[in-house]
Amino acid sequence: MTGAAAPGGGVAQGDRLIEFAEAVLAGDEARLAPARARLAAALGEDGLVDAAGIVGFFNAIDRIADATGIPLDPERLPSTADLRAELGIDAFLAGRG
Amino acid sequence: MNPAPYEPVSRPIRDDLAAAHRRAWVHIARPGAWWDGRRRVALAAETRNAVACGLCRRRQQALSPAAVAGEHDTLGDLPDNLVEIVHRLRTDPARLTRGWYEGVLRSGVTPEQYVETVGVVAHVVALDTFAQALGIAPLPLPPPAAGAPSGQRPPGARQGPAWVPWVEPEALTETEAGMYPRGRPPANIHRAMSLVPSEVRSFFDLCEHQYLPALGMRDFDREFRAITHAQIELLAARVSALNRCFY
Repeated sequence: MTGAAAPGGGVAQGDRLIEFAEAVLAGDEARLAPARARLAAALGEDGLVDAAGIVGFFNAIDRIADATGIPLDPERLPSTADLRAELGIDAFLAGRG
Repeated sequence: MNPAPYEPVSRPIRDDLAAAHRRAWVHIARPGAWWDGRRRVALAAETRNAVACGLCRRRQQALSPAAVAGEHDTLGDLPDNLVEIVHRLRTDPARLTRGWYEGVLRSGVTPEQYVETVGVVAHVVALDTFAQALGIAPLPLPPPAAGAPSGQRPPGARQGPAWVPWVEPEALTETEAGMYPRGRPPANIHRAMSLVPSEVRSFFDLCEHQYLPALGMRDFDREFRAITHAQIELLAARVSALNRCFY
């Protein structure tokens, strides 16, 4: 055992950011309202607005990537080779065509 | 008070972000390269409507979306093949396949029309998710602007490794100037919609203000937002993981 991962990946307020992102994508206002309030309390209103912008932007750009069938950028291939092999992601990609 | 279009919102929306959203909405309403303003606004409306589609919900729950037949719950302003594109992009993008894309082409949609449709959906998702995240009402859709689509296809567009044709940087002409970042090769996500340059320009304008300026993404000596680079990338990674986006 090498030790437990820090909540939120070791990023300041990471647990609140993750809960916020998950609540937004779940589309569940009952879950999102308290997550939003906790994030605003931790990061301020400006931080909340910026976090909302990031979640919105990546929810969109993921769709562009998925819809156009773009491959991984060549410069990312070496650094992700071990991870892709371990997770079997390349086989998944082959299934998408 | 916030600038338009967020005057009624009590939370502080940055001026540059509000301005970017205004530009995005103008972009949606204007004639594109392949669709007129009326069609583009109809695509935007259908993007919103897709969230409540019963067929899409059943497909999301199925092992394969292809296993569930039926008809989409649609607003009725678009042909069926465009409704299928919009609904799948909005509700189940991670399970799109090249075979599905080829089926879309066989249904009569051109690659250019497809890419422009992707661009419209992406703009709407970016702004609507932002609104949802803040607990504010989505912006009213803009009235369509008059005019005909330009019909301009980049002459250097070629089939590459993506499903859709794209424009390599060395094949850019003056018409597509400014589509790609300066001083470095464009990432594949930047090339993805290059078959329709106006979609690239507008979406990456949104990127500058809703995510980070191009030069700020890897400038770790400065922070550009009220949250740090690390917090931004944590959010980005979590969203992409939830969306099961390989890229």
